[in-house]
Amino acid sequence: MLQAYARGTGKVEDSDMIRKQTKIINKTGLHARPASDFVLLAKTFESKITIRNMEENSEAVNAKSIMRLLAEGIGQGAAVEITAEGVDEAKAVKDLAALIERGFGE
Amino acid sequence: MILKGNPVSPGVALGEAFLYQVPVYEVLESYVEKGSERKYMDSLELALYKANSELEDLMAALMESEPDKAKIFAAHREILGDEEILEMLKEAVEEEGKHPDFAVKSVFDKFIELIGNVKDPLIAARTADLKDVCNRLLRILKGEKEKNLSSLPENSIVVAKDLLPSDTATIDRAHVAGIITEAGGAASHTAIIARGYRIPAVAGVDKVLEIIEDGTTLVLDALTGEITVSPDEKKKKAAVLKAEDFKNQKAEAEKFESKPAVTADGIKVEIGINIGTDKFCVPFENYDFVGLFRTEFLYMESNHLPTEEEQLESYKRVLEQAKGKPVTLRTLDIGGDKTLSYMQLPKEGNPFLGNRALRLCFKHTDLFETQLRAALRASAFGPLQIMFPMVGSIEDIRRAKAAVLAVKEQLRREKQSFNENTGVGVMIEIPAAAVIADLVAEEVDFASVGTNDLAQYLCAADRMNPETAVYYQSMSPAMLRVLGTIFEAFHRKGKPVSVCGELAGDPEAAVLLAGLGLRKFSMSESGIAQIKAVLAGINTEKARETALICKQLCTEKEVKEYLAENTPC
Repeated sequence: MLQAYARGTGKVEDSDMIRKQTKIINKTGLHARPASDFVLLAKTFESKITIRNMEENSEAVNAKSIMRLLAEGIGQGAAVEITAEGVDEAKAVKDLAALIERGFGE
Repeated sequence: MILKGNPVSPGVALGEAFLYQVPVYEVLESYVEKGSERKYMDSLELALYKANSELEDLMAALMESEPDKAKIFAAHREILGDEEILEMLKEAVEEEGKHPDFAVKSVFDKFIELIGNVKDPLIAARTADLKDVCNRLLRILKGEKEKNLSSLPENSIVVAKDLLPSDTATIDRAHVAGIITEAGGAASHTAIIARGYRIPAVAGVDKVLEIIEDGTTLVLDALTGEITVSPDEKKKKAAVLKAEDFKNQKAEAEKFESKPAVTADGIKVEIGINIGTDKFCVPFENYDFVGLFRTEFLYMESNHLPTEEEQLESYKRVLEQAKGKPVTLRTLDIGGDKTLSYMQLPKEGNPFLGNRALRLCFKHTDLFETQLRAALRASAFGPLQIMFPMVGSIEDIRRAKAAVLAVKEQLRREKQSFNENTGVGVMIEIPAAAVIADLVAEEVDFASVGTNDLAQYLCAADRMNPETAVYYQSMSPAMLRVLGTIFEAFHRKGKPVSVCGELAGDPEAAVLLAGLGLRKFSMSESGIAQIKAVLAGINTEKARETALICKQLCTEKEVKEYLAENTPC
């Protein structure tokens, strides 16, 4: 299951899933330290979490995989969608979006 | 025996070779017996655990003294903890039945490809970390102990194919005297770290691991790129003196680095930098202009022809970093020996006299047009000027200028903003253009002399070929006369002329260049301090006399001897 959705091939349209769209405002984008911070925070949740770069209409990737996240090359100004599914899904989406909206303290 | 390479971090060292082979683990496609998957997964998990604790130890050891280096290992732990890498490893062993080392290799190769294809070079560079972690896992799976450079014999000159980030981070800095690598150029990881640590380093020495034996005495001259294997006593003594001299000069020169360049008689000289990346961090006060912005990296680090937008972003980044200082963008200088993986270029019998640089752009007009569009659009964001390489005639210049005019017309029609007065200039590196410098000066807004190629073409000698290196004479009377002709022609027309070849960063040549009338020197960052220091000791009137005399001497040897005896102060 994890494999499937992480590679964007699985069906992730689940009515229970929480999703939120937001915009990357920090200068570095989701690279370097901000990317690490994002993954670190994502890993504190049990839910399955994805992030999708909406600019390039690309697939959702596993938010707990630093390499997948870096490979997306999500820069400043990009719109992203975060989804979570699991016991702590609401908090996961809220906290991760908040981290992005705070601009990672840059 | 003497070996040659590219000096990538200056200095001179006398020491003993320490051969360091980063082990390459051959991994064959192999599968485990059905039913034993779980057992093999356990051994892979153990390896992951061990790798993690090795990294923890390395981090802990560096945390206090060098937190920056500790970060490298933090990044490696991050890779080990990557959820998707772990899931894929698990799947590869448990479901596909791959042998653990084959699983590691195939999963990491997948990610190395994925990351290597990212446009942002900073992210793409992280493939080095992935390779490093992959190697660590393979080694642990083989049951081998970690080998690294953290404990070296005194005065070691490390000889390696290339160094991984974990090697350079843990290198025994108290005992490493120098680094020699087979791979890599000035922008390689090893080169950057060596410069940061001020360890003399020479890269790109072909087959060095096969030639040099462990423990052999070496003189590493990372000023010239020359390595002497088993030097005699005389050579050893000379190396020690040269190393001393270099250290003293460097300490002395650093005082000048951030000050404006002024000669002893108060003439201001402009100092430019040569860059080959859009990420450079030369302190603002150290330079006056970007004399050469090479754009090849955009093409070579990509797996496709860089698009107009990609180029525009990159050019804007350079203008932003130069903060209002003029930037001279050189259009693509490729072909012949430098090739692109995604573009088929015919093999030529004589690449340096072949269809390269501007000639290639004339042939591939869309490639040329894309770059000109990006450059002109960037001109709206800062003082940018465009420079064409490998110009051999007035026809070349007119044809390139016509291409610029056509692109300007396109942009005007599209209502794209750009600077109408963007300067257009040329590199002077083909003797035919040098000889008619007065006519060239009529046609262009500025010129910059590429002394490396100019000397190579003037002397008809390949400087990279050890057999012909003696014939390559960049300070010969012939070269001085040609340079004098170029400078005079441009000054007479009141148009700027600079030198951006290696000669501009050569302290020995500074007095001659200043004496021939040059007032704009552009060089790699590492040369700035020393050139400013040398210029501060030059009286331009005396330098002019020196240059006049040297132009009348018969050989380069005589020129060098004259300079050594008559240091004008």
